[in-house]
Amino acid sequence: MNPAALVAIVPLAPLAAALLIGAALTFRRHDGDAAERPSARIAVVGGALALLVMLLLDGLAVVHGAPGQVRLGTWFSAGRFEIPLSFTLDALSLGFGTLVALIAFLTLRFSVNYMHREPGFHRYFFGLSLFAAGMLTLVLAGNSALAFVGWELAGVSSYLLIGYAWERASASENAVRAFVTNRIGDAGFIVGIAATFHWVGTAEWPGFAAGVGALDTLAAGLMAFGFVVAALAKSAQVPFAPWIARALEGPTPSSAIFYGALMVHAGVFLLIRIEPLLIRAPALMALLVLLGLASALYGWLSGLTQTDVKSALTFATTTQVGLMFLWCGLGWFDLAAWHLALHASWRAYQFLLAPSYMHLLDGPTRPVSSWLGRRRRLYTAALERFWLEPAADWLLVRPTRGLGRDVNAFDEQVVDRLIGRGETGRDERADEVARGYGALGWGLESLSRGLARFEARLLMEGEGGRLGQLLRRVGEYLQAIEALLERPRYLLLLVMVTFVVIL
Amino acid sequence: MMDRIPLLSLLLLTPVAAAALIWLWPRERAARVLALAAAALELALAAAVVAAFDAADPGFQQVERSEWIPTLNVQFLVGVDGISVLFLPLTALLFAGVIVASWNSARVMPRLYFSLLLLQLAATVGVFCALDTLLFFLFWELSLVPLYFLVSLWGVGPKRRFVASKYTLVMLGSGVPLLLAFVVLAFNHAAASGVALPAGLAFDLPTLLETPVAPRLQLIVFVLLLLGFAAKTPLFPLHTWLPGVALEGPVAVGALFVGLKLGVYGLIRFAVPLAPAAARDLHWLLAGLGTIGLLAGAVAALAQSNLRRTLAYAGVSHVGLVVLGIASFSVQGLQGAVLQTLNFTLAAGGLFLLTGILHRRTGSTDTRSLGGAVSTMPRLAGFFLLFTLSSIGVPGTAGFPAELLLLTSALTSHTGAGLAALFGMVIGAAYALGMVRRAFFGPLTNPAVAQASDLLRGEFVLAAVFAFVILAVGFFPSLLLDVIAPAARAWVMRGG
Repeated sequence: MNPAALVAIVPLAPLAAALLIGAALTFRRHDGDAAERPSARIAVVGGALALLVMLLLDGLAVVHGAPGQVRLGTWFSAGRFEIPLSFTLDALSLGFGTLVALIAFLTLRFSVNYMHREPGFHRYFFGLSLFAAGMLTLVLAGNSALAFVGWELAGVSSYLLIGYAWERASASENAVRAFVTNRIGDAGFIVGIAATFHWVGTAEWPGFAAGVGALDTLAAGLMAFGFVVAALAKSAQVPFAPWIARALEGPTPSSAIFYGALMVHAGVFLLIRIEPLLIRAPALMALLVLLGLASALYGWLSGLTQTDVKSALTFATTTQVGLMFLWCGLGWFDLAAWHLALHASWRAYQFLLAPSYMHLLDGPTRPVSSWLGRRRRLYTAALERFWLEPAADWLLVRPTRGLGRDVNAFDEQVVDRLIGRGETGRDERADEVARGYGALGWGLESLSRGLARFEARLLMEGEGGRLGQLLRRVGEYLQAIEALLERPRYLLLLVMVTFVVIL
Repeated sequence: MMDRIPLLSLLLLTPVAAAALIWLWPRERAARVLALAAAALELALAAAVVAAFDAADPGFQQVERSEWIPTLNVQFLVGVDGISVLFLPLTALLFAGVIVASWNSARVMPRLYFSLLLLQLAATVGVFCALDTLLFFLFWELSLVPLYFLVSLWGVGPKRRFVASKYTLVMLGSGVPLLLAFVVLAFNHAAASGVALPAGLAFDLPTLLETPVAPRLQLIVFVLLLLGFAAKTPLFPLHTWLPGVALEGPVAVGALFVGLKLGVYGLIRFAVPLAPAAARDLHWLLAGLGTIGLLAGAVAALAQSNLRRTLAYAGVSHVGLVVLGIASFSVQGLQGAVLQTLNFTLAAGGLFLLTGILHRRTGSTDTRSLGGAVSTMPRLAGFFLLFTLSSIGVPGTAGFPAELLLLTSALTSHTGAGLAALFGMVIGAAYALGMVRRAFFGPLTNPAVAQASDLLRGEFVLAAVFAFVILAVGFFPSLLLDVIAPAARAWVMRGG
């Protein structure tokens, strides 16, 4: 057997740990402080096993050279769509895999003491093990579809840990918000995968690298666009940046590993992975330069105004990751990789230390730098985090919510009225034989009466009669529709509909 | 073939026999036990059907054929293929779930309640294995009757009678084009084969699939079938009965409305294969209806405060995505559609069952009066979250492969609609997790929630079985996809 096949153990060990803890939680085997040891042990052993196998693979790679693509089978396939169970073991993934396994193991071990006697101890280790599994899958995966599995698992575990303190309304709200923002990135990833299958035919990274060379600029640009959106969302870059500040509501060690060290770098890793595609899409590279620079500035300025350790560290992270995006945009992928590895290690340490900073500091904390303080407008903008979140609310969240209310009203006012709804507003009439509900019943019931009325009033009373009123009413309806169309959400909707029709 | 056990007939007979037994049994309280035993037996039989199923064969298996109305050539013809076979065990499982979830809530006339449920089970199984169009139609209409009584007699809302009759009328109304289409096809067969009426009539699906249909006629047949199946699916704008029934009907029975997607099955089994060219020509109609339903359902779900209405609209949205996948006319689209429909039975059905339990404990499913339920019902909340994650397609759950297949096939065949579906996916996460947040997280406000007890043993076993199947399919989707694949390939080839 190929010894490189051992790689499957790396993501599976933490996954098995997560499943074991989850099962123990479900069946009430682990409950309360007494069961802390088994839960912690399962999680730490899972992390240690992943790290050991990873180191073993590194040793193999040093002696025999990197194993390259390892294919263990097919996860599932349907038609032309196939997800192989394969791993890419090249310098990039071996390096990052080891880094991820190491930081995950250290954080797990650190958390055993840090989380002692917390009410959600078991839940926490479930989330962290799941995250380690997701992150390792993402880094080691041999194809984009499998990488997407890890990508999503990391997102879900992030949701679970941000909402760790579920009794706080803000925690669960922030968790949902972070997950939904990430979901936009996931949508981008799916676009990338679909485009890969459509144009390249295989999602395997080596085949991908070979296949994208023959693509024209437009196809490459479309494909890269999906992946770049995914990377921007996951790495909390402008314009998706605000979610990461909300994500800090989770326990500190989880913040360290998610938003300091590992998950926040997933986007950069993806960009390095799709390097052959990116260099075929110059427009996207330019976009990366622009957004990377914007994120770096955003993180730097907003970070200067923060008053708590975790937020300051997070904005510093955004800045550094923004720089990595910039390197990728400039084509310096190796620099980005080195930057990533060094930054991840350093930031993990800083975040884990964050709760102790207040003890470590002598004297008062440093005030906002004076040059920023003098620039009143810039300072306000930085303090308000450049209004990115209100802007997203105004542009996307509120119109969508409004549409929801409209659809609901449409169902109740229009569709229900046509099919009939159970109002009891109408008086029972004595001469009524049967009562119809809705347009159909009502139509049958009043057909004859309507015909009589038509003759008697509409025609006989001439211009000023019912016909005139009817026309006036139609005019009013049209006016109302026009007024509705002026609202932004309907304009947006129209634009979307146009897109759907064109495509 | 007489030596083989007629498994499908047994599947149809078991619930009916059990329903009769419930009335003959001296103790009224035993009704629920008998019903659960019958559902378990049904599950075992369905598992036997799946076990005996040859996954490499794209055709119909376990076929049983006998004369029913010889003068009209109507037959009792049942059989399963890769598309339908997996629905049988999941249907039985869902019904077992409904019986467990209404274990204590159906106190009034338990005999009638549980025998109606069993008759509904028989009719549903009949829908999934009937291969004669008139037999199918019979089961299709029969499946309305028990639901009408279940909703109007045991409903929890004040408008339950009205909602029940509205549902039944809409369904009866949509049955008319269905029957018309089947009759048109039968006459077409007589005309095509040149045999005089009534001997030339044909209602059995295998024969009809071989009969050529003129393009103009195909168009008529397809539109009629689409009209017939649209309400049950439900496709926009014929969907408003679903939130109504979900809110007014008995909560556990609501799982049948959102969990069983008979309309989708009808589209896949009858509407497209019987008029393949027309279906291809009208792919834009299918895709458009799917996209509108998907978006309308998703944004409407965002505006709901009641769990049951949210789930109903979520169902509308999910079905839209499935129809979009069907409209791609690709193997991966169809496999995704079938897998997603199976996933709903578990995830959406399971969510509704848990909602029923929640309703039983707290007297409400309105999120404004729930809040913080996880502190008193951690297991219920955990399962609820898992099923929710499956319904939004998170890896590790059955929803992931299904949604990924549907989205990628939609993006390839109808790019604009696929992008709209991605937008729907983002909103889907928002309403689904928002629903969980408002119902289960945050501070405790309602004393009824604070005193509620967690899942009882039976309920726990039920939820655990659902969760196990969801995770098993999520980790090993090939188990199901390989069963569906040959039939799906044949389905797509036919349309080509």
